[in-house]
Amino acid sequence: MQNAKDSFYMVLRARLATVNPERTILLRGAVRPGIFVEEAEAPMSQLPNDVFVLRWLGLGTDSVLPATMAGEQCEIIYQTCGTQSFGGLDRGRSLSEMDEELLAMIAPYHTPKLNFTATPPATMLTQVFWDEPAFAPIVIQRDQLSRSATVLVYSYQEQGE
Amino acid sequence: MLADALLRSVAGTTALLRVTTATADTNMSEVGLLPTNFAEVTISPVLMRKLRPTWQEGGQSKWELLVSANGVEGQVRALDLASAEALFAMTLAVTVDGQDYLIESIASNEAFGTVYLYRLLLREARQQTV
Repeated sequence: MQNAKDSFYMVLRARLATVNPERTILLRGAVRPGIFVEEAEAPMSQLPNDVFVLRWLGLGTDSVLPATMAGEQCEIIYQTCGTQSFGGLDRGRSLSEMDEELLAMIAPYHTPKLNFTATPPATMLTQVFWDEPAFAPIVIQRDQLSRSATVLVYSYQEQGE
Repeated sequence: MLADALLRSVAGTTALLRVTTATADTNMSEVGLLPTNFAEVTISPVLMRKLRPTWQEGGQSKWELLVSANGVEGQVRALDLASAEALFAMTLAVTVDGQDYLIESIASNEAFGTVYLYRLLLREARQQTV
């Protein structure tokens, strides 16, 4: 299941770098595309603005199939206060921009499953696939708008996983 | 200077900031596969005090670390960082007397436009697997 989670993150990261190369974040001394996995970074009291945060939540399995299929729930959280040059008055537009970026990077809804413990990453036999994102309503906290989208990510368990 | 003297006079101690060092960004480091390199930055004088707890079931104690701005500035210069905020942003954990704490928020006290004290709101870090 970890390989599916890693593959899903990596493909979103690569697609975001194409969709909006200017959306970046400085994390642990490195500038990266503006997306990260919450559980793979240092705990933070407040999530940063203007980046996508992947949070892994639910898990379900179906072992009736010839190969066990795992479905994992990924919550993608993003928030913004708008830009300084607009005094934050463009925060609605900024959030819409992030909505569109998320839609652009989530499609197509599949990617090869890779094993990132190997260098270079080894391509596995099956694909990771997911359904359309379910967008939650905007949450308004004073000057900050935030939203989350939930995606169910499916993968087949391969031998050795 | 006065803040240093005051902190020392009330049994000021030393804190270690565990900061991430600049590492090559790789796929493996982004998915939690590659251990990050850490460096320990010593800050002194500091003073720990427990905040009045609002008791909650399963809630953790919160602490406030009073840090001399002089001590912070010295490390900011030594590490060639832009600001104290940059140093705190790189900090994963704060160790005082062998106990690890996570930073919840940072505030500063100023006099005549100069910061003389940083106040770090901390909570105890949970035990990690060795």
